[in-house]
Amino acid sequence: MLDSLMDWLVSTPINGLVLNYAWSWPTLESLHFLALCTLMGSLMIMDLRLIGFNRLIPLQAVHSLMPVAIVSFAINMITGLGFIFGDPHTYFANWAFWAKMILILLAGANFLLYYVVVEPKVVRLGPNDATPLLAKSVGAMSLIFWFGVLSFGRLLPYLGTGGG
Amino acid sequence: MIALHALGMAIMVGLSLLLDLRILGWFAGIPLQALRRFFGLAWVGFGINFVSGSMLFSAQATSYIVDWVFMTKMTLVLLGAVTAGVLQPAVAKVAPGGQLSGGTKAVAGAAIVIWVVAIVMGRLTAYL
Repeated sequence: MLDSLMDWLVSTPINGLVLNYAWSWPTLESLHFLALCTLMGSLMIMDLRLIGFNRLIPLQAVHSLMPVAIVSFAINMITGLGFIFGDPHTYFANWAFWAKMILILLAGANFLLYYVVVEPKVVRLGPNDATPLLAKSVGAMSLIFWFGVLSFGRLLPYLGTGGG
Repeated sequence: MIALHALGMAIMVGLSLLLDLRILGWFAGIPLQALRRFFGLAWVGFGINFVSGSMLFSAQATSYIVDWVFMTKMTLVLLGAVTAGVLQPAVAKVAPGGQLSGGTKAVAGAAIVIWVVAIVMGRLTAYL
């Protein structure tokens, strides 16, 4: 199944777009790096407030940063898909790639937990209000998952290439 | 070392970009007084990248030093650090409810451009 998926990815025009121009891969990478900065920057501010590191910030303002995180993630999903369409065989054979994907799924589930369960309870908290334990743990897990995504992503070319 | 460098980048540049946007008036719900601790954290990221970057550099110093893309990146990173060094006290001395000066906002705008180009140049160092 994975083989036919890889064959299909390589057969699409996106594969040619990513591989046949000298500038496309570096452009995708630059965008991927820029959006990872804005994603991690917004997440650090939001998650650290949830944890209690900077209580001056009202939770409503945490909510206002969410579009930055979502748009940044969307950019990284699109540019990331570009890499996969360009060179699926290398990525699919790399265990660090799968570790990164699993961490992204875990981070997504953690975000859903925040969005559905935690945020309705905390969004009215103002400056200096303490957050409940669940909010603290969701914030901490978010930072752990996303810094894990970043580390595995950056180490991808060095780890597990060749099917290990 | 390369993973640490990416981590430090996310902390320094990620926080700097968000703080710069706040200074420009985005996310006005975040009080300016709250930025102080994030500036402190951004400097931790800068420290991580100074150390990891020095080690990555020393492994290939002779090829980096003649690479104009790398040297442009380094110049921009230093300029970026200068903007953070200027903005941090400028934000700290604003009274609660007070306004930031036009000059401070101009520095924040310039800082965004500097960081964006620095990241692109850093990535392109691998190609040129």
